[in-house]
Amino acid sequence: MELMRIENLSKVYGKGDTAVKALDNVSFSVKQGEFVAIIGPSGSGKSTLLHLLGGVDKPTDGKVFIEKTDIYGLNETQLAIFRRRQIGLIYQFYNLLPILTVEENITLPMLLDAHKVDQKHFKEIVEILGLQKRLDYLPNQLSGGQQQRVSIGRALISNPSIILADEPTGNLDSKNSKEIIDLLKLFNKTYNQTLVVITHDDRIALQADRVISIEDGTIAKDEVIRP
Amino acid sequence: MNFMKRGILGITRKKGKSLILLAVIFILGNLISGAISIQQATGNVEKTIKERLGTAATVDLDHDTLNNMPEDEWMDFEPEELGVNLIKQIGDLPYVKYYDYSMEQWMGSESIEPYQGEEMDEDFMMDEEDEIPFQLKGINYAPIIDLEEGKATLTDGRVFTDEEIENGTAVAVISENLAAENNLEVGDTFTLVNNVYSYDYDTDEEDIVASRDVVLEVIGLFDPKSVTQESDEDSESNMMFMMEDPYYQNTMYVPNEIVIDETNYNWEETLKADDELAAMMKEEGEDASFEYYEPIYYLNNPEDIEPFREEVLPLLPELYTVISATDQYERISGPMESMSKLAKYVLIVAVAATILITGLVVLLFLRDRKRELGIYLSLGEKRSKVIGQILIEVMVVAVVGITLSLFSGNLLAGQVSDTIMNSDDSNQSEYYEGVYYPELESELTTEDVMDSYEVNLDASYVLGFYGIGLLTILISTVIPLIYIVRLNPKKILM
Ligand SMILES: Nc1ncnc2c1ncn2[C@@H]1O[C@H](COP(=O)(O)OP(=O)(O)OP(=O)(O)O)[C@@H](O)[C@H]1O
Ligand SMILES: [Mg+2]
Repeated sequence: MELMRIENLSKVYGKGDTAVKALDNVSFSVKQGEFVAIIGPSGSGKSTLLHLLGGVDKPTDGKVFIEKTDIYGLNETQLAIFRRRQIGLIYQFYNLLPILTVEENITLPMLLDAHKVDQKHFKEIVEILGLQKRLDYLPNQLSGGQQQRVSIGRALISNPSIILADEPTGNLDSKNSKEIIDLLKLFNKTYNQTLVVITHDDRIALQADRVISIEDGTIAKDEVIRP
Repeated sequence: MNFMKRGILGITRKKGKSLILLAVIFILGNLISGAISIQQATGNVEKTIKERLGTAATVDLDHDTLNNMPEDEWMDFEPEELGVNLIKQIGDLPYVKYYDYSMEQWMGSESIEPYQGEEMDEDFMMDEEDEIPFQLKGINYAPIIDLEEGKATLTDGRVFTDEEIENGTAVAVISENLAAENNLEVGDTFTLVNNVYSYDYDTDEEDIVASRDVVLEVIGLFDPKSVTQESDEDSESNMMFMMEDPYYQNTMYVPNEIVIDETNYNWEETLKADDELAAMMKEEGEDASFEYYEPIYYLNNPEDIEPFREEVLPLLPELYTVISATDQYERISGPMESMSKLAKYVLIVAVAATILITGLVVLLFLRDRKRELGIYLSLGEKRSKVIGQILIEVMVVAVVGITLSLFSGNLLAGQVSDTIMNSDDSNQSEYYEGVYYPELESELTTEDVMDSYEVNLDASYVLGFYGIGLLTILISTVIPLIYIVRLNPKKILM
């Protein structure tokens, strides 16, 4: 089943002489439950693409449909709510809130929505991430790997249909990297969540179902490794 | 979790940061609150002293300007006279509670003795030789303003009627002591003499050339309010007042018409006796009779003096000006003024410094937390709420800091102003060189001004300080916040 469709997506930064075409007329679609790796040289437009998929930035041209919803047709508030419920974002720098505890950081999307936290779901995630004993810690009391687990927890708490991760292991050693990727794969299989991961690491890319390579803002190659 | 709770968490879970901010706000808050305390206190002094100085005002030649005129110009200057019409026109202004204008003349008597005062040192006795010890004070306002203003009280009899004023009936209100001295009672009559003197320049002697009796009926007795009892510790001002006292005791209130009549008589007889002067006056075509009035206005309240002055000045002839009782404040308020000015500068500098320093501190903290704020934005939190969170974080700390400095700054202000006033004491001159207007003068001195100075914690200070303090902090938070409003979450998080 098609979960996400990208049509003629373009993004130009700046104006006039200094304009940079970061994405140039990109189209593709992603099936539900698919694990997609995006690779490409630095500056090729990977992060730009991911942000457009996540509704964090606005495209210059083109459309993004998620479960038939044209996300850039939504107004600001609707988009914010849609994003919070349907999309989990994970960054290279864990982007945790230093004043909030592990528990508060993980449940923040629900708290912002003034939703009741599903305690069963929360416990399950925390257990998988191995953070049970760290719930009252502040981020600066955690290791890098633990912090990234917290940010994964936050991305997953609202049970989104898509996880978008921008170099989630970029700051971690190989042991921690493997653990994080294994966790993401586990969630991908357990909850049938769609997973899009930007990576420079070939070993990670090779674990994906499909690898899209971006060069100069266009799709250079789109290979399905595991159908 | 709403933004308010996050704001509070931002304070409690980042104690170091909150304490730095608190210290900055507390220190600067002390400056602001000290300056406001002093301003308030000086403002209060101005108000109470001006209230004590009263609302009297008069119109007269501007002696300051006249004295500074070059001599030749001054010699040529012929002052226009204030007509009764103008005096009345000014008196009809809405600021005026009541007014009067009077002509005065001094006279002697053979049948009554002046009151000399009691228990007085020889030094302060009135001059026995004084042949004209009685001051006739003309009145146009029948109830007598001095009584209405509480300078004296009516102890027996009555004040004038409008008819008596208009017709110039020969009646007088005199002091109780003067009456007792001469066994006079209400309904009795007494006689004054209007002597016309000629002055011989060669022999340096005065001769009486004409004389007529003025018979007046006593209709009321007044008792000057003794202000001396109030300040018996202060012997110097005590003496001064005692010395003035006999003059007032020997003052008689009469209708203006009586004074005019007697003045005219005196003038005419003078001209008859002095041919030279008569010829000179004829040559210049001067009117033989002249009326010269000193108006006195009492306004509704002290704040009316400035608007009154503004409306009156354009009506006046050249070189006339408005003189008010509160003018005295400027003379006796030296140290107060300099302190008020100092406080104003400190306040301006402190507010500017607070905006700058707090602004920078907040900006530094926000730069530190750029990423954090970006996360909220990327999670779809409204910008307004993120701003609200930061405002709460800063303002809660600010309220605490300002509340602490409310008290300490006030204490500080008390200390500082004591020091300033004491150091200023020496260069304060007590003596004023200028024209003396008895109606407008009070015996208040710089010392009274200083005494009424008091730094205290009153509601207007507390409100004023919270207002200015919180507004200042708000401004210094909003400026760095503009920086956040322009953040692009994507840029921060990548
Ligand atoms: N906010 C921006 N303003 C202007 N140009 C931008 C901005 N963000 C990205 N770019 C430009 O767009 C192009 C694509 O950037 P992008 O961040 O998508 O690359 P990337 O593939 O993620 O690179 P990396 O692997 O180094 O993260 C680059 O040339 C970059 O300079
Ligand atoms: Mg990137």
